[in-house]
Amino acid sequence: MSYVPGQPVTAVVQRVEIHKLRQGENLILGFSIGGGIDQDPAQNPFSEDKTDKGIYVTRVSEGGPAEVAGLQIGDKIMQVNGWDMTMVTHDQARKRLTKRSEEVVRLLVTRQGLQKAVQQSMLA
Amino acid sequence: MDGAEEGRDTELQRKLDHEIRMREGACKLLAACSQREQALEATKSLLVCSSRILSYMGELQHRKEAQVLGRTARRPSDTGPPDERSPCRGTICISDIRIPLMWKDTEYFKNKGDLHRWAVFLLLQLGGNIQDTEMVLVDRTLTDISFQSSVLFTEAGPDFELRLELYGACVEEEGALAGAPRRLASKLSNSLGRSSGRRVRASLESAGGSGGSSAASPILLPTPAVGGPRYHLLAQTVLTLASVQDGFRTHDLTLTSNEESPAWLPLYGSVCCRLAAQPLCMTQPVMSGTLRVQSWGQVHGILKGTNLFCYRHPGEANAQEDPLFTIAINKETRVRAGERDQTLGAPLTLSISNQYGGDEVTHTLQMESRGALQRWMEALWQLFFDMSQWKQCCDELMKIEVPPPRKPPPALAKQGSLYHEMAIEPLDDIAAVTDILAKREGPPLDVPPHWLALFTEKLPTSKLPIHAPRSPSPPRACPGPRATPWGRPRTLSLDAAPRGRPPLPPRSSSSSSSGSGSPAPRQRSPPAQGFRAKARPWLQSPV
Repeated sequence: MSYVPGQPVTAVVQRVEIHKLRQGENLILGFSIGGGIDQDPAQNPFSEDKTDKGIYVTRVSEGGPAEVAGLQIGDKIMQVNGWDMTMVTHDQARKRLTKRSEEVVRLLVTRQGLQKAVQQSMLA
Repeated sequence: MDGAEEGRDTELQRKLDHEIRMREGACKLLAACSQREQALEATKSLLVCSSRILSYMGELQHRKEAQVLGRTARRPSDTGPPDERSPCRGTICISDIRIPLMWKDTEYFKNKGDLHRWAVFLLLQLGGNIQDTEMVLVDRTLTDISFQSSVLFTEAGPDFELRLELYGACVEEEGALAGAPRRLASKLSNSLGRSSGRRVRASLESAGGSGGSSAASPILLPTPAVGGPRYHLLAQTVLTLASVQDGFRTHDLTLTSNEESPAWLPLYGSVCCRLAAQPLCMTQPVMSGTLRVQSWGQVHGILKGTNLFCYRHPGEANAQEDPLFTIAINKETRVRAGERDQTLGAPLTLSISNQYGGDEVTHTLQMESRGALQRWMEALWQLFFDMSQWKQCCDELMKIEVPPPRKPPPALAKQGSLYHEMAIEPLDDIAAVTDILAKREGPPLDVPPHWLALFTEKLPTSKLPIHAPRSPSPPRACPGPRATPWGRPRTLSLDAAPRGRPPLPPRSSSSSSSGSGSPAPRQRSPPAQGFRAKARPWLQSPV
């Protein structure tokens, strides 16, 4: 998934619906994100293309809502509840995921090998 | 003939389209930027793209005009030898550019607490080729602006003109009135102090009058009103063949901004750099073939630069072995065709004479055919012409290092910073942390790990990557060879070559805001070192 500025991006994505868990005052999802257009993409251990400034899942806590919903470490988040996540700063991404008014977030994520898996399942 | 022209046109069109896309991307990035440094970089890319677009469009226009007027490019003449020779192309390299500054305690620096900072970069243009240097942050602790990058231009002729332009912008917001409506701004500026008001008015005026009105029109297009930082032309100069030297030289700069300009820097007025040129005739073989040299027999000769290398056979030349012997060809050499000491009635000879001290040494070369003689003569005349055009560049080959492509800042702490792998969230207990540690470090933890001290509220003594979250971060030096306290300015003599990078002072972190939805103490990035954020780790946040 290489990104050329100004060109549309095409990717095979998977829908992940996460129901937030209430922890006292806070609603948590149970994973950590890294990346953003204000971050250094070369330090991203999960990205295939080291110039990709997208938001990636860097950690999924065990038994948390994200793991239950099927989110995996290394996934790249493309959309959250319809909001784009491919061209956002780190802080914007965090805010879009942690809105207090939303109890459910529907993510579109993509990961390496997803495209191939889809193609193989179509052939089978 | 037309195919070649069309090929060049499509190439130019392709480059133009590429730059237009890059420009759009830069605009989008600029709109999305939140931090000033990102905005400065994006604006710089935007300006470089714009200037390249201008130059390509100008070139396309020029070509279309030429076509319309019926003038075609000079064809290789098929009716005899060309009247004019054109000199060979060469590669120009400018490196180690250093611009001295001249600070003094004027009213601009009265507020001692505030460190005014500027972002500067150089735009270099040779013919239709525009390149830029990296952006450098400058403040009053530096005595010179140094650019580490070297810039290479290929396909330059000996009549080249290398235009050098220095652009600067304030890193801090220009009085926070950059985007304010005119009436409000003028109202406020009237009640501001004298110098800041003057500066605000200057920036407003310059915002009104766009580029293109000045006499020596700068290369840049006016920026779109995106509200980002503005770059101003600070100084410029033009370098030609006369400035080329295999060493450092100081050249004069024409200063184009005065004290009223918002991004004014006290420039001393000169620029030091190493401008080297490698004409193609010095680096590539001009001619090669079989020759018969008296007293040496048959050899394979290769004419390159200031020498005619003679090998036993062509294979030796490819194997990069030492030639059998070498004949020097330089400005003092005299070449004569035709008969000289005609022996055995051999008419196809060439004599090359060199003066070594008081003696004259002549080599007589015998050609295989009249055609060969013609080609060798032609090659030699072309070489002499090139030498006369490229002048001092043909005395000796100047070394040019091809600069490596500018890499993004290298990843920090692959050598094991826990900081990168952990998000300290309330859900985590020590177990998770020790798990990660155990996985990485391996051996069991008999000794309580260093970072445990953090939780007992004792600051760690040894150098550690972790420090307490949510710190207001006083400027702190990063461990490593780059560490520099808030430095003493270095004094460099005007013509000395700088050794290594100048120290970049650390700056306190400009933090991202903690929003209302933030559930837990998030990790904060440690103070970024200088502008290129070589020490800024990749931020991770729990959600």
